[in-house]
Amino acid sequence: MTDRLVVLEITRMEAVHLAGLVTQFADLLTETTDATPDDPALARLVPDAYSDDAEASREFRELTQRDLLDRRSTDAATVLAGLHSISGPTLVTDDEEALTRIAVVELDSDALGCWLRTLAALRLVLASRLGIVDEADHDDDDPRFGIYDWLGYRLDGLVRAAEGA
Amino acid sequence: MLAATLPKPDEHVEVEAIPHNSRVWQTVVWNDPVNLMSYVVHVFREYFGFPRDKAERLMLEVHHEGRTVVAQGAREQMELHARAMHDYGLWATVREAPQ
Repeated sequence: MTDRLVVLEITRMEAVHLAGLVTQFADLLTETTDATPDDPALARLVPDAYSDDAEASREFRELTQRDLLDRRSTDAATVLAGLHSISGPTLVTDDEEALTRIAVVELDSDALGCWLRTLAALRLVLASRLGIVDEADHDDDDPRFGIYDWLGYRLDGLVRAAEGA
Repeated sequence: MLAATLPKPDEHVEVEAIPHNSRVWQTVVWNDPVNLMSYVVHVFREYFGFPRDKAERLMLEVHHEGRTVVAQGAREQMELHARAMHDYGLWATVREAPQ
């Protein structure tokens, strides 16, 4: 919406973990079927457009699904490029201090859109894997919920930045 | 508790150009337990260009009522909106407007 840059501050440790999640997400997106994906997490990203008309849903899916998933791949690649620019593609150090050092990713409005869509989609995929069907579903002992909450925290921060708050 | 001040359900709906005598369709956004309220407001503002108060009201309708109509008009246009909502990760469907 504007050409103002949003500056994301993130530790290298976070960047490495997020890069791992986004890489897994990108792998998931290689599905090429035009039918409803078998994986419920992927199916959630391309839901039926008609709740009571299977034929209309099928036609809509044929027209949109490939583009939607391709676009998500492009989004994921943009996020990964930003993360790799600060963390490198792999975790090459066990130097604790280096991992907790804060790095900066500058996002123009296009890149910000990619980040917002990808973080939102990662949460949808993770929620599907975790079986979250209600807002109250949470298991404090399962570290995956910690990752889910952290993605929400990061997404909310970027939304605030996007809204100029 | 009184419901007297509730707005009429459809008064905020954007009615897009509809050819005479053609049927009216709607894009419906459904609640889900995952998407953040702040994100949904952002999507409504960015994509539909709604002012903040309207975007927040629609988000709260989704949250509390389980769904809301975000647009109505020609079927093709409503499908474009649904596709755009899917692109953001929101759960949206298209339906013919109830008579």
